[in-house]
Amino acid sequence: MSFSVAAAVPAAPYIDWAGLSPLLALLGGAIVALIVGLAGPRAIRTQVVPLVSLVTFAAAIGCVIALWGQSIVLIEGALQLDPLTLILMLVICGAGIISTLLAWRDQAADEIAHGEFFSLMLLGSAGMFVLVASRDLVTTFVGLELLSLPLYILCASRVRAERSLEAGLKYLIVGSVGSATVLYGFALLYGATGQTGYSEIAAAIASNGLATDPLFLTAVAMCTVGFAFKASLAPFHQWTPDVYEGAPTPVTAFMSVATKAAAFGVIIRLFDVALRPAAETWEPIWVAIALITMVVGNVGALRQPSMKRMLAYSSVAQAGYVLVGFVLVTDLGVQAICSYLILYSLGNLAAFAVVIARERETDEGDNISALRGLGSERPVLALVMTMAMLSLAGIPATAGFMAKLRLIEAAAAGDYAWLAAVLVILSVVSLAYYLPVVATIWRGETEPAADGAGGVPVLAGGAPDAEPGRAGWELTLIGAVLAIAVLVFGIIPQPVFNLVASAARGLGL
Amino acid sequence: MSLSLAAWLVLACPLTGMLTIALLGKKLSPRAAGTIGTAAIALAFVFAVITLIQLQALPSEARAATTSLWDLVNVDGVKIQLGLYVDPLSTFMILVVTGVSTLIHLYSVGYMQTDAGYVRYFSYLNFFVFSMLLLVLAGNLVLLIIGWAFVGAASYMLVSYWYRRDTATAAGIKAFVMNVVGDIGLVLGTLLLFKTMGVLDYGQLFSGAHAAFEKDAPELVIAMLLILVGAFAKSAQIPFQTWLPDAMEGPTPVSSLIHAATMVTAGVYLIGRLHVLFEWAPTAAAVGAIIGALTLLVAGSIGLVMTDLKRVIAYSTMSQIGYMIMGVSAAAYVGGFFHMMTHAFFKALLFMAAGSVISAMGGNQSLNNMSGFRKALPFTFVCFLAGGFALSAFPLFSGFFSKDTLLFEVGARGGWYWGLYVAGYVGAAFTVFYTWRMIYRAFWGEPCKEAQVVIESGHAYHPAEHTNPHTGNEDDPSTQEVEDSEVGFPGKEHKYAETTWQMRYAMIPLAILAVVAGVIQLPFGITDVLSSFLEPTFANTIVAYEPDQPGLEAFGLILSSVIAIVSLACAYWIWVRRPGTSAAIQARLPWLHRLFINKWYFDEFYSIFVVRPVIWIGRWAHDSFERVVINGALIGGTSGLVKAGSAAVRAVQTGLIRSYAAIVIGGLSVVLLYFLVRAL
Repeated sequence: MSFSVAAAVPAAPYIDWAGLSPLLALLGGAIVALIVGLAGPRAIRTQVVPLVSLVTFAAAIGCVIALWGQSIVLIEGALQLDPLTLILMLVICGAGIISTLLAWRDQAADEIAHGEFFSLMLLGSAGMFVLVASRDLVTTFVGLELLSLPLYILCASRVRAERSLEAGLKYLIVGSVGSATVLYGFALLYGATGQTGYSEIAAAIASNGLATDPLFLTAVAMCTVGFAFKASLAPFHQWTPDVYEGAPTPVTAFMSVATKAAAFGVIIRLFDVALRPAAETWEPIWVAIALITMVVGNVGALRQPSMKRMLAYSSVAQAGYVLVGFVLVTDLGVQAICSYLILYSLGNLAAFAVVIARERETDEGDNISALRGLGSERPVLALVMTMAMLSLAGIPATAGFMAKLRLIEAAAAGDYAWLAAVLVILSVVSLAYYLPVVATIWRGETEPAADGAGGVPVLAGGAPDAEPGRAGWELTLIGAVLAIAVLVFGIIPQPVFNLVASAARGLGL
Repeated sequence: MSLSLAAWLVLACPLTGMLTIALLGKKLSPRAAGTIGTAAIALAFVFAVITLIQLQALPSEARAATTSLWDLVNVDGVKIQLGLYVDPLSTFMILVVTGVSTLIHLYSVGYMQTDAGYVRYFSYLNFFVFSMLLLVLAGNLVLLIIGWAFVGAASYMLVSYWYRRDTATAAGIKAFVMNVVGDIGLVLGTLLLFKTMGVLDYGQLFSGAHAAFEKDAPELVIAMLLILVGAFAKSAQIPFQTWLPDAMEGPTPVSSLIHAATMVTAGVYLIGRLHVLFEWAPTAAAVGAIIGALTLLVAGSIGLVMTDLKRVIAYSTMSQIGYMIMGVSAAAYVGGFFHMMTHAFFKALLFMAAGSVISAMGGNQSLNNMSGFRKALPFTFVCFLAGGFALSAFPLFSGFFSKDTLLFEVGARGGWYWGLYVAGYVGAAFTVFYTWRMIYRAFWGEPCKEAQVVIESGHAYHPAEHTNPHTGNEDDPSTQEVEDSEVGFPGKEHKYAETTWQMRYAMIPLAILAVVAGVIQLPFGITDVLSSFLEPTFANTIVAYEPDQPGLEAFGLILSSVIAIVSLACAYWIWVRRPGTSAAIQARLPWLHRLFINKWYFDEFYSIFVVRPVIWIGRWAHDSFERVVINGALIGGTSGLVKAGSAAVRAVQTGLIRSYAAIVIGGLSVVLLYFLVRAL
């Protein structure tokens, strides 16, 4: 009965550096980007820094691929590297690459300075890694803040634009309320269970019969609301349209895919692992949130003149669909969520690429009128936008259809067929805001084309130093690649389904 | 190359061709569009041959491969794959479809050269072939229905191809509506099968049918009858045949494609494909056989009196498809598909030759105006003769062997099938008459003025203004609607085979095949290439696959020869030796002529009993039901609800941070309250 003295002094935790490599790559890249951003020549700042960002994201993807299939616990249980983490990191880094290209010649990066802009993006991505990998309350909160703080700044990065500053400030204040809610919830959760590790919390709930304990329930309620806020689920979504509209469009694109993936990653892990013993308690609330989110997102998107606002509401609606996969608490459900996040992001990013192109080409900003006559003026961009809208609406032979089909299948298999039916009905409503975009593109004629054939040929402006007023070839390229991916995965989605087949392996579902 | 890869590539080629042509659109020169379109189908044919070689390399009992890209649906025990079913029957079909289609594409390159919509034409044509191949290769009924509907859509686009002609758009609509009626039947039949058996792919359907249903169980019979509706509509069988003659509004190569290689043979394929189910529901099979026999007689009789060259051939198609439907429904599988193949050759050839004649006529299609093209178009004449001999089943030509194999297999079943056997031989006499009537009237006699132009100048006759032959009096272009030569037959220049090499090279192989293709399956088992090739597909048939009654077989061959030669001689007498005879017969039996020329009044019947009541109900529903219930309550209500929701969401979206925060707190309170109340 004698306690060893040595036991009181914690040994240095064992760190599996290889397992941490994606995080290290992102953090290292952020530092390099920041340093390169201090270089004198403008050419280095504007061209090399984005290149560093690209290379970093590519390196992170490389690390993810190298770790593929592994399931390891890192740093004494702080982080868990499993298929879910790796799949979501793939989505996040993919979105990072595309957003880097979108931001490459953007006003925002110029105004705040390239070094800051791209290193914040990389830091945010590092936060996302921590968030989706965390299996401990403390790490989760660190990840959450590491994700949120860079994004607050990125939203305000067009320092000379009032709307961008407003978006950043709004996001900061309301986001702090959300973070505070989560933190409060975590504190209470620790108070109720005496544990911070996810699996330990689950064990404590089960063994102590906490499912009806008021302290515990308060904690669950706060976690629910806090994360619903971060994932912009209704009725806690209200910051989303304002922030999405005001933020620089590349940042909006990045948030709409990467932040969403990270938020769902942590929701899945926290609720499906730590709080699973209380699943019967929290399930109805999440079902209600899913319903409200689908309705509010789809209804709110109607007749929005701003494309970014419309896409913001659309992303709220899509988040509601994803929740349908979440409330099932099944292996199939998690798989469906992962394939949904991958497939949906293709169309979403393609849409943002076209919006950015039009912001640069016209003086109508992100208003839908900027798209009028796109079909005759820029047929490639018009096709891209059409594919994007059809995919978001879930028309067959697009990736969005397959993503929805997978969710519906999972819901039907998980005894939530009625929720799937609601999803389908609300998808019909969504046609009322996606299809008008397509109609505007192809029907609206611009003023008679002055320059003969009207419009710039495919992959126009091949020179990287396009003069202002030109969209830039990289936008067309990204859009075309994504649109083709939308079509290909709309017909042959099996590779994606295979990729996510093991998504739930680390969750014990 | 593996079997499944080859099969997928067969499907991929026309799809790629279609997409390439459609997406590049006007950037493509007409010549490039034609080349891409033809090359795509030719490549598909190459892959079809590879499929054949790979299939034959397998042991005969293993010659039915399923290959799936992924699961379309896999939930609750229902599994539907995006998969193909490759067996001798589907391989046989893709060979015929791609082979004949390649030649039709080649022909089109020449024939449609100066048409304004050339590029659009080839993307449609590729799409048509793709749809047909999808239908044939589909591994389950769902995919089959998709291909089936695509074929209907493609036929609509091609029949209405000259969309500035009102008659063409009307014909396209008619074809589409009739096809959709068939689609409905097919879908309902499929659902009925699915309801009982719970599976949709061929392998499980065939193996499970005997366990799931009693023999001739009412539910199975109804399902199969509904599926037959689909087959009848696609294959233009009574009572869904009225779209076929109108479909002659499309360009002539399209008629050739629809009639020879694709579309109308789909019904025959469907019955053959589902033969296990049809044999287990003999009542439905009997209906199929009887309808086939009726169609072959009715269509043959109409073909005797039509004066529009293309329509005569159209009715001959209907009649020949009647033979095939009768054959496969009566379990004469080898004969049915043998005849389908030879028919594909000679019918494609006849349409091509007819197109050549019509070009030389400057767009006029009436037999009343044609004569003496023998000297003007010698090449076309020889091809027409080859096709004509084969169609009229003249001894030793391909159609002779295929038709006799078919009728022999039907007759060998005995019993009431004797009735069908007799009907088949009566129809054979009709066939000879309408075929040779066409040939004698178009090619014999003194050259008409158009033929004179060709003989003298070596160019096709050009009327002063182009007219739509389907309006006004078909014999007199001055009564017809004048139309723009830019859109509408046949473009600015008229191409006929003698002056256009693509047309000639497309016709030569078909002419050869129309003469000699019979050798692959000669009577008395002299050769049995086809029957031994198809055997693995029909191994599970429950009636005699190859009947062994040499006496009957010999009798059939003799009877057929006698009918062909005697009828041909009579035709010669009626239309060449005594040209007034047919007019005299017509005057003697005016009522019969009226019945035939009005196509047995099917259109009028539909007009009175279907179209008008439907229009009347539609008007009523529009005025009362739709205005009040649909527009008012349902649509108004739903959109009002959505609008109200939209307004509510906007009202809450104030843009004020404090109100957002308040809602977060409020929401949190609600969630918390719910948890606590539940916990108490």
